[in-house]
Amino acid sequence: MAKEPTRTAPEERLVNLVVALMATEQGLTKDTILSSVAGYREQSEAGASKDALEKMFERDKENLRGLGIPVETIGDYADPDDLRDARYRIPTAEYELPADIDFTPAEIAVLNLAGGVWSESSMSADARSGLRKIRALGIDVDAPIIGYSPRINLREASFAPLHRAIEQGRVVEFSYLKAGEDAAVVRSIQPLALLEYEARWHVYGIDLAAGEPRTFLLARISTEVRITRTSFDLALRDGAGERALTGLTDLAARQRALLEVEPGTEASLRLSRRARPADQGIHVPYVDIHILADELASYGPEVRVVEPVALRDEVILRLERALALHTDVRTTA
Amino acid sequence: MNAGPLLATDRAALILQLVPYLIGKGEVSLAEAADAFDVDPEHMRTMVEKLTVIGLPGEGGFWQMANDLFDIDWDLLDERDLIVITNSVGLERTPRLTAREAAALLAGLQLAATLPGVGDSGVVQGLLAKLARGASSAPAELIVAPDGVDDVRVAVAAALRAGVALSFTYQAPDAPATTRTVDPVKVHIASGQWYLQGWCHLRAAVRTFHLDRVSDVRLTDVAITHGEENVPDLFEPADTDVAVDVRYRAASAALLADYVAVDTTSVDGAFETARVRVGDARSLKRAATRLGGELEILAPESARQSSAAWAEAGLAQYR
Repeated sequence: MAKEPTRTAPEERLVNLVVALMATEQGLTKDTILSSVAGYREQSEAGASKDALEKMFERDKENLRGLGIPVETIGDYADPDDLRDARYRIPTAEYELPADIDFTPAEIAVLNLAGGVWSESSMSADARSGLRKIRALGIDVDAPIIGYSPRINLREASFAPLHRAIEQGRVVEFSYLKAGEDAAVVRSIQPLALLEYEARWHVYGIDLAAGEPRTFLLARISTEVRITRTSFDLALRDGAGERALTGLTDLAARQRALLEVEPGTEASLRLSRRARPADQGIHVPYVDIHILADELASYGPEVRVVEPVALRDEVILRLERALALHTDVRTTA
Repeated sequence: MNAGPLLATDRAALILQLVPYLIGKGEVSLAEAADAFDVDPEHMRTMVEKLTVIGLPGEGGFWQMANDLFDIDWDLLDERDLIVITNSVGLERTPRLTAREAAALLAGLQLAATLPGVGDSGVVQGLLAKLARGASSAPAELIVAPDGVDDVRVAVAAALRAGVALSFTYQAPDAPATTRTVDPVKVHIASGQWYLQGWCHLRAAVRTFHLDRVSDVRLTDVAITHGEENVPDLFEPADTDVAVDVRYRAASAALLADYVAVDTTSVDGAFETARVRVGDARSLKRAATRLGGELEILAPESARQSSAAWAEAGLAQYR
């Protein structure tokens, strides 16, 4: 029984293309695809121009690659750039989740928890989609890990373009407002890793002006992130996350504030987790002097900064500004 | 213009996942499948129906024959809302994870590894390797810095597992310390902060406790009686909240959202005025000095004065 030709939705055309390209060992030529795969075929027979169909095929191919589907091009061996007689196929082994990867019920239980952490919608959709693929393997699940709701908060709009640039290995440009400075400076970096440290997102990459790796706080990126056409070697990314983390941990080990805290207060409770006892007060490691100053200012009289002087000045500045704002005549009467 | 093809690609990705799922299940209800794919049952029905026009290319100028196409048991679907694939022409195996899917899960795993009993079980290490191998290309490195486990977190985890109440000293800011007995319900981890939600025997209600403010924790041998309690979202406004009027630089709006639920805003040049709700008006003095100069408390007068006094007392230490 033959099916009546009807107008095919684009997603059906895409899936038909995947089925066709996976069913062939030696590959299909573009002409074969356009004249036989449902979705192209109707349009071909309805008189769509070859040029339009070829463009549609090129777009579809790119969209499938965007989904991580390996569309392979087998060109002319004599002239690899000559794609007139090229054949296309999807190698099953590279398409499928490798058969030897299996997950234990305990692993699935942990993955279920891990898949639910994203508060931001696009990362959350990706995590759920990945989880669905793994669940489709039909593995039993241990009793769920109950009683925990871990969340990764993500507010910065710069995260998505930076993530994409890391995937594609492209140089990015953005304006960066260094803390304590008034004017933002345009930075050009090869982004290598994104890192959440002390609940703040950072991007680690090679700063092209400095020629050295640098770490930037996403919250201080003051413009949109522009992904340029300049690409870099993806091998630069290897181990970058580890290097970024080591960099921040080392920095925190080198920089420490000497503080006096009032026992039993909010300041004492919140700081003591991170602190080490000192002769006079406590030592608290920090990465960013301005972020620590914000926190210490919130504690008001519960904490006194002994050193460094720069931190002390920053805390005093915040207290003075807050005082001025709340003792003067109100802004709106 | 871009939305069209993008959506079609996403829908195609769903179909590629749907086939192995359905084959793996053998027979599955519309409702269960819809739930697994985060769509409503009617959307799932349409997806399954559309599957039957997908298949291998026709050969020799003929349209596809029936056995070249996916097919389903139509009677079961129409009469009993059950999905069964009766003919499949490929796509039986699950596709690899995209780099993005792997990255999203890998980052989630790093956070899950900070939970007592999860990170030290060896499960996470194995998973990190498997996910990396199951991805179609190398995922971007997303790192979630590890956080130390302490006695309080371990005790809370043990109480959750054992289903017993916890007893501890709780030191809320600007309040005297109290001794609490709590049936643990849920631990929230947000922005690196750990909160316990549970049934507080003292208040006879669900309460949220910041774990940094918990000390002298011990497990009781009292079995929990409110473990299934429906807990509100972490920062859900409560009836007891008070309204405070604030003015802040528009650029600092995101910072403010860390502390309070913002009701109404009105823009006035580079500044915004808003009515926010907080559990305790006294707590806003801490936000006022933290955001030094970026946030002005307009009303009530008592909250405004306590902010000034808080800043003044802080400064007095340096004079």
